[in-house]
Amino acid sequence: MNLDAADTRARLESFLRAAAGADAVHIRHLHRLSGGAVQENWALDADMAGGTQPGPHQWVLRTDAAARVAASLGRSDEFKILQFAHAARLHAPEPLWLCRDLAVTGREFFVMQRLPGIASGHRITRDTALVPDRARLACELAENLARLHSIHPPQSKLAFLATMRARDNIAHYRQYLDQLTAAHPTLEWGLRWCEVHAPDREETTFIHRDYRTGNYLVHEGRLAGVLDWEFAAFGNPLEDVGWIFAKCWRFAGKALPAGGIAEPADFLVPYQRASGRTVTPEALVYWQVMAHIRWAIIALQQAQRHLSGVERSLELALTGRIVAELEHEIVGLTR
Amino acid sequence: MSDIPDATELLAIARSTLLDSLLPRVPEELRYDALMIANVMAIAAREHTAGDAAMQAEVVRLAALLKEQCEPRAGAELISARIELNRRLAAHIRAGAFDDRDRAVLLDHLAQTAAGELAVSNPRALET
Repeated sequence: MNLDAADTRARLESFLRAAAGADAVHIRHLHRLSGGAVQENWALDADMAGGTQPGPHQWVLRTDAAARVAASLGRSDEFKILQFAHAARLHAPEPLWLCRDLAVTGREFFVMQRLPGIASGHRITRDTALVPDRARLACELAENLARLHSIHPPQSKLAFLATMRARDNIAHYRQYLDQLTAAHPTLEWGLRWCEVHAPDREETTFIHRDYRTGNYLVHEGRLAGVLDWEFAAFGNPLEDVGWIFAKCWRFAGKALPAGGIAEPADFLVPYQRASGRTVTPEALVYWQVMAHIRWAIIALQQAQRHLSGVERSLELALTGRIVAELEHEIVGLTR
Repeated sequence: MSDIPDATELLAIARSTLLDSLLPRVPEELRYDALMIANVMAIAAREHTAGDAAMQAEVVRLAALLKEQCEPRAGAELISARIELNRRLAAHIRAGAFDDRDRAVLLDHLAQTAAGELAVSNPRALET
């Protein structure tokens, strides 16, 4: 989709003018940001005259890519989550306006604040100059996650969120595997292992479900933003801890379990201190197994988007080839 | 061997042309696409070279795990045997048949299967 076509740009300007009650709007710059097979993010620079937001602005326009992942929320729900998370000071970008009128760009979208910094997992884990104090960044990530996990259901503003505890995850992934033509014994093994080792009792909190390197912004070495809230749910807070520790999200920093940037204690000590929870080594392994299963399921879904012809894409096709790597990790973790 | 370049050879030379001659002139916003294409060509070349040896071995192991006779197969028959045996194995695993007894044999099989696929898709992942 090209939002930068002249007629789309003009409709976007009209939308912004009405949304902000501005006298005039000029879009200076509009280009697609890299990454995001599931969502498209566009850098949107606009000059606003009058209204609620006068002056020059740097925003992000976020919209569905053609290939949506079944588990991800729509833009209007994500907008509500961002409003909630921004108000709770969880490093979420401030959401500004939601547009559900398909006449503007052809898809739902919203406009949000553009936070400074770099998100690229490859760069953050490789370029030490970007993160001079890795333990401090891990601490900021841990304390922010603990704050996120201090939010318990019910929350009237998040009533639409699903609850996904360990056994809910297992049932959900099995249901998906049953729809596929080919069986996946290693994923079945991982799910069976998770079923046998499932915690007897689970705490339920607000969880992000994609809190990992590549989805946060680092600016001047510090945590500057948390992105991609589309998978948020209520569930076991340790799912988020297992996710950020999972080897598949360490990028160039394979030997550094905490997000490819730090040693386990750099993250776990401040997380445990701030949350009052204990993360046992067993729980950490359990939720890393679940993380690899979940990513494998999403990778299969993305490959399916390509194979079914819904969205022919090189990136989606290649994502299917990640599954073997994830299965390799699942076997190693459950031996 | 033929004196005409085979698919592996064609992919190898196409890939090095892409990386050495084209990539330096590819605009920044298409760089990632070009690198993905290079990766796809490497995978396709490895898959072509590997042939069906890994799948043959997988089917032999699957039959042993399921305590079944295994006849030699090739081509479409091999592929459909693999699908059918994996379907049965998956159902047994879900039902708990490998929780205790045969657990180690199953894990060895799954590890070898993943290693075979990684040797094609991403050999570097086997080093770590």
